[in-house]
Amino acid sequence: MADNQQIEMVGMNRSAYLRVLAFFLAPAVLIYTLFSVYPLLATIFDSLYLRHEGGALTFNGLGNFQTLLTDETWSKPFWNALRNNLIFFIIHMCVQNPVGLALAALLSLKQLAFRNTYRTLIFMPTMLSVVIIGFIWQLILSPLWGIWKMGLNAVGLGVLFGPYLGQEHTALITISLISVWQFVGIPMILIYTALLAIPDELVDAATVDGLNQWQAFFHVKLPLIWPTIGLVSVLTFVANFNAFDLIYAMQGALAGPNFSTDIMGTLFYRTFFGNQLQLGDPTMGSTIATMMFVIILMGLLVYLYVIQRRIQRYSF
Amino acid sequence: MAQVSITSLQKSYGSVDVLKDINLEVEDGSFVVLVGPSGCGKSTLLRSIAGLEAVNGGAISIGGKRVNDLAPAKREIAMVFQSYALYPHMDVEKNMGFGLRFAGTPKQEVAARVAEAARILQLEALLKRRPRELSGGQRQRVAIGRAIVRKPQVFLFDEPLSNLDAALRVNTRVEIAKLHKLLGATIIYVTHDQVEAMTLADKIVVMNQGRIEQAGKPLDLYYRPANTFVANFIGSPAMNMVEIEVTGKNKARTLAGGELGVPLPARAKAGDRLTLGARPEHLTLGAPGKGLTGQLDLVERLGEVGYAHLDMAGGGRFIVEVRGDVKAKRGDKVGVVPDPAKLHLFDANGKACAS
Amino acid sequence: MRSRFSTIAIHAVLLGYTALALFPIILVVMNSMKMKRAIFLSPLTPPGPASFDLIGYHRVFSDGAIGTYYMNSIIVTLGTIFFTLLFGAMAGFALSEYKFRFNKLLGLYLSIGIMVPIRLGSVAIISLVSGMNMINTLSALICVYVAQNLPLAVFILSEFVHQIPKDLREAARCDGLSEYNIFFHIILPLLRPAMATVAVFTMIPVWNDLWFPLLLAPSGGKQTITLGVQQFLGQYVTDWNAVLAALSTAIIPVLIFYVLFSRQLIRGLTSGAVK
Repeated sequence: MADNQQIEMVGMNRSAYLRVLAFFLAPAVLIYTLFSVYPLLATIFDSLYLRHEGGALTFNGLGNFQTLLTDETWSKPFWNALRNNLIFFIIHMCVQNPVGLALAALLSLKQLAFRNTYRTLIFMPTMLSVVIIGFIWQLILSPLWGIWKMGLNAVGLGVLFGPYLGQEHTALITISLISVWQFVGIPMILIYTALLAIPDELVDAATVDGLNQWQAFFHVKLPLIWPTIGLVSVLTFVANFNAFDLIYAMQGALAGPNFSTDIMGTLFYRTFFGNQLQLGDPTMGSTIATMMFVIILMGLLVYLYVIQRRIQRYSF
Repeated sequence: MAQVSITSLQKSYGSVDVLKDINLEVEDGSFVVLVGPSGCGKSTLLRSIAGLEAVNGGAISIGGKRVNDLAPAKREIAMVFQSYALYPHMDVEKNMGFGLRFAGTPKQEVAARVAEAARILQLEALLKRRPRELSGGQRQRVAIGRAIVRKPQVFLFDEPLSNLDAALRVNTRVEIAKLHKLLGATIIYVTHDQVEAMTLADKIVVMNQGRIEQAGKPLDLYYRPANTFVANFIGSPAMNMVEIEVTGKNKARTLAGGELGVPLPARAKAGDRLTLGARPEHLTLGAPGKGLTGQLDLVERLGEVGYAHLDMAGGGRFIVEVRGDVKAKRGDKVGVVPDPAKLHLFDANGKACAS
Repeated sequence: MRSRFSTIAIHAVLLGYTALALFPIILVVMNSMKMKRAIFLSPLTPPGPASFDLIGYHRVFSDGAIGTYYMNSIIVTLGTIFFTLLFGAMAGFALSEYKFRFNKLLGLYLSIGIMVPIRLGSVAIISLVSGMNMINTLSALICVYVAQNLPLAVFILSEFVHQIPKDLREAARCDGLSEYNIFFHIILPLLRPAMATVAVFTMIPVWNDLWFPLLLAPSGGKQTITLGVQQFLGQYVTDWNAVLAALSTAIIPVLIFYVLFSRQLIRGLTSGAVK
């Protein structure tokens, strides 16, 4: 009963009590409301208006959304960005999270020497700025330096080398994998902690029941960490549909080549600020931001109402 | 020091009444112990006196001053918590002087009072230690020291010994009793342990379901329990009870049919149903046919004394105090003979009959 | 239990992945201290007496602005941490300590920000900040980052306040402390370990962020180190010594910090996100 934890105040009148509450709560509530909630609401509000030459605003209902989804000049980039973003997300789900799970499973093995060292080192790239990571990989992949080429030649796969970041059909996958490389530490740590929380007795019991290590992992441990995997998935979803830095740093605001790496974040940035090809458009920028909000919200709702309800949570 | 009086105190959480019409006088300098089963409201009563819980009705006054609406710090009380509640980030000295410093007491005065309390409690060597470097018993003394330093009108103790091991509990109990004498303090003390209550109290207050069942001197409660609840609660093992039917002047029979000569109240008339209570130490085993009839189930032998557990004819179980080396075995038929002068009679409502 | 073979296999896999994770970082730091010829001819060898050269760093620091960018990042990060922790602990304390009508609702309101990224409100944030004449100021960045980090800080810290025994707060009330003093003298000192965790946790994304510096403080010497390095890289893209040195300059402090505080950080990740 959380309520019983909270105190009753004796000897303090109502106004003094309210002063105490205001003192403690006002700073956080005000700054959060002003710089987080208000901008979000204002953005949604803005997306309902049309901006004319000279700056006049008129109410446009859902017109901006209609434009975004159906008008060729807007819908083509939008669907392109959404499709790319989905691919970006799917690659993360199919590579980052399974690799993270595998690493976590290995790290959580009993009596593993150097486990903290492995954990700390593998997590390291996650700490660095996406900008820095992007640039480092650009250098490594660059034919000028030739590190990657050298590596491929060394294992006899030299023919596979190409200007990955410059080709439309490889750029997005390459960037996604770089992002996976950087962020694999997060699923690893979260799943690792969840695995450590499982009591040893459960695995011992499974061993006594005749399961081998693999079977014990798949039939005992894995079912117990589904909630964590669900959480990792939703975190990945939110982060992916909010991504921007890596593509901006590696491919620029135009998300080249030929928009093949354009995702929602870069489209939003370009639309709002404008670029060599078009002028900035704040209301359409807001419209795209609102679409991102809706997409993220849908992801969260799926998580809350489908995944979290379906998954049984266990306490030890 | 001061007296505490509580009149018609009411307290509820939502629709649940946790204190119902509590009236209690705590005399100046006396040691009052609140006992009762868990959930009986004893801790809530103590916390209401401290000002940590708001009450819904009635009055609490300390030293003749109504304190209902005063903050805890203004009530001139000091509380010793069950968990000791020592500030983990301060050493012993700071812990004890902390409240005074905030009340604006001059530094020298604070130091003097802390030194005095440390001397009384033999904490001088520990003043620079942090709570986590202390044993349970030492923490407990610091918690008491923190209370002493404030020179309160009333000390409030909330189950202060329950986190100590058995041996330390006995020692600390003795220390607290000495301290009470030394300081002449008014103390209100909550426990669920009747031994603590019996040994420490000037006055015991037995509570049950938010009510005071009886308040009085420890031995009064033992010899003259006001009702079956108190009779059961005070004394260990608990009092044996059996329902009887009055058959004549000073004559009754149990529902199983055994005839019994007991001193009955004058207004008892034939056909009245009463509850007869007898403590294990006031019963003796005799030959079958004498007094009440029972069959021996087992004997717990504690050494000097033992307790015989009996299945009584007509249902129910009795416990009878016997010598530790009594020769008896399971299945023996025995008679149970009460000491007529030490019997208790309760009416149909469980109230003691005036004898 | 495990066979020798499988133990070796496990270590081989983990070592292999560790190498993959560290290789790019080591490569860059290593080559940043070499002469240009050596960078291209033998990129995989560490700098030796013949190839050692700090010309790249020379160029980065002679640009002059890097020091300022560092200072900016430090101010923004420390400012953000200070206010996030202070306001977060205050709100977390009030939410877990006091009964009032909208307690639950307010907790819910604050926790929306844990999941919904503040970036989506960027359009309005820019007009808000420019309306307050705060474009190209560090205060604007601090305000936004505090708003961004408060929800999680409140959430984590109120959990920790909850774990502080109730008796302790009541003892303080009996000792005559005001609510403010209870917070500053009892709660705040006891929250120190939790705050360290939240601090490390808050610090990294703020230090690394590109988006808001780009939007709110892109010029006028108010760039953070992340943005500064990004701009520097754009200018010197063909000067490999300078590029590698600039990257290392951005990497090394974070790595030192990480090695020092990795325990708090990982604890923070787990305590904050488990629920």
